[in-house]
Amino acid sequence: MKYKRIKRWLLFAVLLIIVFLVNLPILTMIVNSLKSNSEILTSKNILPTKLTFENYETLHTKSKFWLQFRNSAVVSLWGTGLSIIVAAFAGYAISRYRSFFIAGFSRSLLMLQMFPIILVLIPLFIMFRNLNLINTHFAVILLYLTVHLPFAIWMYKGFFDSIPKDLEEAAWIDGCSRVQSFVRIVLPISAPGVAAVAIFSFLFTWNEYLIANVFLRDEQLMTVPIGLQLFMQQFATDWGSLTAASTLAMLPVFVFFLFVQKYMIYGAVAGSVKG
Amino acid sequence: MPKPDQQRKVNVLPYYFLLPSIILIIMINVYPMISGLLYSFQSGTIVKRGPFVGLENYGKLFAMGEFWNALYFSSVFALFSVIGSYLIGLGLAILLHKDVPGRGFFRVALLIPWVIPSVVSIVGWRWLIGDQNGLFNMILGRFGIEPVLFLASEKWAIVSVIVIKIWRSFPFMMISMLAGLSTINQEMYESAHIDGAGRWKTFWHITLPQLKSISIVCWILMTIWCFNDFETIWLLTEGGPANATENLIIIAYKYTFIKNAVGIGSAIAIVSLIILMALATLLLKIQKDDE
Repeated sequence: MKYKRIKRWLLFAVLLIIVFLVNLPILTMIVNSLKSNSEILTSKNILPTKLTFENYETLHTKSKFWLQFRNSAVVSLWGTGLSIIVAAFAGYAISRYRSFFIAGFSRSLLMLQMFPIILVLIPLFIMFRNLNLINTHFAVILLYLTVHLPFAIWMYKGFFDSIPKDLEEAAWIDGCSRVQSFVRIVLPISAPGVAAVAIFSFLFTWNEYLIANVFLRDEQLMTVPIGLQLFMQQFATDWGSLTAASTLAMLPVFVFFLFVQKYMIYGAVAGSVKG
Repeated sequence: MPKPDQQRKVNVLPYYFLLPSIILIIMINVYPMISGLLYSFQSGTIVKRGPFVGLENYGKLFAMGEFWNALYFSSVFALFSVIGSYLIGLGLAILLHKDVPGRGFFRVALLIPWVIPSVVSIVGWRWLIGDQNGLFNMILGRFGIEPVLFLASEKWAIVSVIVIKIWRSFPFMMISMLAGLSTINQEMYESAHIDGAGRWKTFWHITLPQLKSISIVCWILMTIWCFNDFETIWLLTEGGPANATENLIIIAYKYTFIKNAVGIGSAIAIVSLIILMALATLLLKIQKDDE
């Protein structure tokens, strides 16, 4: 028994080391953001000799970081808000109804997740250019909403499948319409599911790079990932501000991720396996 | 409300529910995909579309060394990233499946590389693998080893890009395998134990076969994601040095948005789509045969 306990704590130690090594790029980044710029470039020490928040102050006063942070928030919240509504109805339809068309639709959703986004970006760029939609948040929101749809619909379907039909049938007898029973009974019960879909959608939109990079060329409109990349190119030596900005860009992700992590297995696997 | 009316309504309702999604998918996926296919048969630029030129774009593409190089790199990148992330993910899943204190914490902490924005992780990595002040070169320097040009030499750039892709991908494999492990019936292990099977034997004859079908799904998904990966490579090397780390998506992007050759760019995107579909069909067939 004692031998077993030692083995458990040995494994604990091993995992602790693995966690440290895996997160080394992120840890050093956070640590660097608390060093002065000259210390980052010259010091051989990994830990800062003097803690300073000057990088965060520079970010606050000199750069467009907070503007871009706001842009990211706008794009993410709209994209997420719309996709959880649109996907909920579609997810309900493919969970509760059977027909040749619906089966075909749900299968084509899986195909959609596979194809290279660059293929549609080229024609969409030309199309949006003619409609004067380049450099608008609207274009990006529309794309985020649609690109995230297949995943969101499949996730919803999984949640709705697990809700017994009897509940709704009882409501129909009481005179509820199908729409009412969906909105008043099924959706409230699957609230955790809705939250999970929303958070996944938020993570996707917050982190997305390629679409934003193609459609947002104006620095005033850029989202955080694109702003950071510009930062990386323009101020190759300003590691202080860059690491501070990256650290802040990570924060919303951490907060939401902690809520959603127990659904992570479900989200990662269910949507794909059930196909 | 009269009954016949309600009956009819029940049949139409799901289509109303699906309508917004269908409109969006047609507008943002289907229609552009068809125009993309048409572009690949046309000459012209982003500003002005040219005349139809038949298969000329494809002809040019297949005559281009850069295309074959990108196809080769896409395959190498996908192959090593899938194998690497699978082995690491499986290994960690097995460790986390054991009864260890702080399991929940470890699981969350090991998922971090997967959930943070790609740009942020690249900023972190760039600091580690920098030529002059990078941590890795600093450590190598202590042992008197010359600094390694992780992103500036062709050979090392390929290695770096793949390692960082593995780092960003293994958490997905890990949680998928963790999910797979939790579905294996414990009695199988108990009876194997009674039969005197060793640890290695039970792993080989019970764990792996039980994980097979979920593993195949994960390989398919990861292969597709690796093939479609743009930002890991773009943010690290932009396809360089000397085209060494260009994959198909990067050259499609370069030809369209930098070299302004929409026809070639679209042709590359179509070729990638065909390759992906062939690959997915093949892997799915393997899975079906298996069942």
